Amino acid sequence: MNRTARDLLIVVVLVFGVGSIAMLLAHVSPLDGFGALFDGAFGTRSEVAETLTQATNLLFPALGVAIAFRAGLFNIGAEGQLLLGGFAAGWIGAELPLPGYVAIPLVLLAGALAGGAWGAIPGFLRARFGANEVIATLMLNVVATLLATYLVTGPLQQGGAGASETGVLPKAAHLPDLLPGSHLTSAFGLALVLAFVLRWVLQRTVFGYELRAAGDAPEAARRAGIDLGRTALVAMALSGAVAGLGGATIVTGELHRFNTGLSPGYGFIAIAVALVGNLDPLWIVVASIAFGMLQSGGIAMQAEAGVPREVVSLVTGLVILALAGRRVVASRRIA
Amino acid sequence: MQAVDGVDLELHPGEIHALVGENGAGKSTLAAIAYGAVRADDGTVEAAGVVGLVHQHFKLIERLRVWENVLLNREPRRGWSIDVVAARARVRALSESYGLAVDPDAIVETLPVGIKQRVELLRELDREPSVLLLDEPTAALAPSEIAAFFTTVQDLARRGTAVLVVTHKLAEVIAYSQRVTVMRAGRVVARHLTAETSADEIAREMVGGDVPALAARAATSNAPLLEVRGLSAQSGTSLLSDATFSIGAGEIVGVAGIEGNGQSALADALAGIVPFEGAIDFGGAPLRPFDTPADRLKRGIRVIPQDRRHEALVLDWNVRDNVALGRQRTLPRRDFDAAARVVIDRFDVRPPDPDAIAGALSGGNQQKIVVGRTLAGDPKLVVAYQPTRGIDIGAAALVQSRLIEARNAGAGVLLISFELDEIFALADRVLVIANGIFAGAFERAAIDRGRIGALMAGNA
Repeated sequence: MNRTARDLLIVVVLVFGVGSIAMLLAHVSPLDGFGALFDGAFGTRSEVAETLTQATNLLFPALGVAIAFRAGLFNIGAEGQLLLGGFAAGWIGAELPLPGYVAIPLVLLAGALAGGAWGAIPGFLRARFGANEVIATLMLNVVATLLATYLVTGPLQQGGAGASETGVLPKAAHLPDLLPGSHLTSAFGLALVLAFVLRWVLQRTVFGYELRAAGDAPEAARRAGIDLGRTALVAMALSGAVAGLGGATIVTGELHRFNTGLSPGYGFIAIAVALVGNLDPLWIVVASIAFGMLQSGGIAMQAEAGVPREVVSLVTGLVILALAGRRVVASRRIA
Repeated sequence: MQAVDGVDLELHPGEIHALVGENGAGKSTLAAIAYGAVRADDGTVEAAGVVGLVHQHFKLIERLRVWENVLLNREPRRGWSIDVVAARARVRALSESYGLAVDPDAIVETLPVGIKQRVELLRELDREPSVLLLDEPTAALAPSEIAAFFTTVQDLARRGTAVLVVTHKLAEVIAYSQRVTVMRAGRVVARHLTAETSADEIAREMVGGDVPALAARAATSNAPLLEVRGLSAQSGTSLLSDATFSIGAGEIVGVAGIEGNGQSALADALAGIVPFEGAIDFGGAPLRPFDTPADRLKRGIRVIPQDRRHEALVLDWNVRDNVALGRQRTLPRRDFDAAARVVIDRFDVRPPDPDAIAGALSGGNQQKIVVGRTLAGDPKLVVAYQPTRGIDIGAAALVQSRLIEARNAGAGVLLISFELDEIFALADRVLVIANGIFAGAFERAAIDRGRIGALMAGNA
């Protein structure tokens, strides 16, 4: 596909071109800088595990973002949905003493429900009042952060006074590790399975067909009997649920408790991941690994080559601008 | 794909030259090459002076004023700012000079189609083109607007402009052009002085044989199907008030009227897009005012929307998935391909490929898909809103024949069209609509062209 190829070219040029310029400005040879980056991401078993962990943390919200985008909804609220999903998972997990075989499913379900509810709010506002979902989701990110902070330090406090985290989850609620000693857990496998399931849902089911129709040609979809309001609500709820599930896996897998700082912006980087993956769940898996590499290798790049880690943020931001900007322009032209 | 192959075309100052051909014959591509929007692989284009192009689909900025659109990028300046007074005066002088009355300060999106066309034309005229290319300029115009439009074009030609009209409407070719070039499959197949040819001859050359005859009309039961009493509805700016009519099974009822006289409100009320007041009985049970389009589809009411690109097709999707649209809940996915092939075969869709992307097809082939899928589920009532808009003779005849066949098979058809010839060719009964009110009804045997024209213009 022509567009995918062009998008990929843009990304490669941005990553290596702008990355090189930034490194030169920091008086580092790009060869050394990128060498350190790759080496830090894939050099040892534990570094590979860290890259895949970062990929997993990006993959959930990216899949969520993609669902909304395919329905024509610009959900930039994955960060808040992920955070509240993580909070719900952490609180329930630490609050209720549950046996192993129900603990993990229930904790994950709590995360998905919380994220889904948070995504459903802008979906409902859009369906009922035609409110712009970009602004609603953007603002709800801030609300989510404040709400989680308030709950965890206030009415639903479990840790010490003033601590911005929940209590520790019992062992039964910990996701099994894939590589002991690393953060890589079975969440990676769950995310892969989810990607395949979502692709199937989007491409092969009536629900996916109607969701894509609503996104690609809303007026034609409406006249074909598709309820645009209901589709927006369900797509946003599902989008938020997948992001919320991601937050829950970070809590049950990596941290074993909820902490208000659990995401370094996964929900935002996920927008770039989803767009680079052309909103196709399987390509998003590939894109998430690439961005996971940037995340994990960035630390090594700073330590070993002296390139500021912010270069990774710079490149990610430019990718979002280049790909998302063009998509928004294209959709406005149609509307 | 080769859209245009080894074509020579010469335009002379002061002449109106018609370029005609079937869908996909290469007319629009040729015009785009002449304008410079498309690069030719081989060959040259030479023009003395500026070349202007008026698109079939208007390229106006809807939210800006008329003068802002006309002078876009050529605004008269005063220092750093735009000289609004001079700009307004320039547009007013231009519109008076060509007899194209339009308010320079009107916001474009509030204007009717015919006036938008004037704005489009004024924008090109401001550049003082020596060659003016008009791509299907009358596709959206009412009969009276068409006459006024060509008066302007003839005036332009008298002033020395070379005008190329790309069209499929042969009556306009015969009435207004001096020379005709006929294209088929990317090549020029005939050139005529208009005075020495006829519409029939041109039509045969376009199609490459005889124009297909319409399907024969069979006797039908005419059993009551749709009974509408006191129907009022609003869709955007389109208003319909107090309409009473009926459609029988196996009957085509034509609604004749100039665009913007309540047709959209009528179609959208029946489609379930907008609520209505009044009573509609369909097949013995009422339609409810706040039903959704899905409810109407379930009842067997299917609509061919006016705007196939926005209201009917998902342009990014392939033909297969587009054919299923509207039946996605009832048609199993494994049957999508077979359903698409049925439509492709019955409607001669080219290319005959279910994987072809809908947006890449010509307008005629897009319309064949829309009409094909609408008739595929054996609908009880078909609302056909401008079913042959902007498509060529061959494709239009095919679409019209399929509508007659649906009627013969017992479907009721409400044909809303701005082209009187189409209504007269198809309808068993003609209703005339003007200002949102049904102004008259004529049986097929008693059609009075002059009277219908007067009623359409609002003269009761």
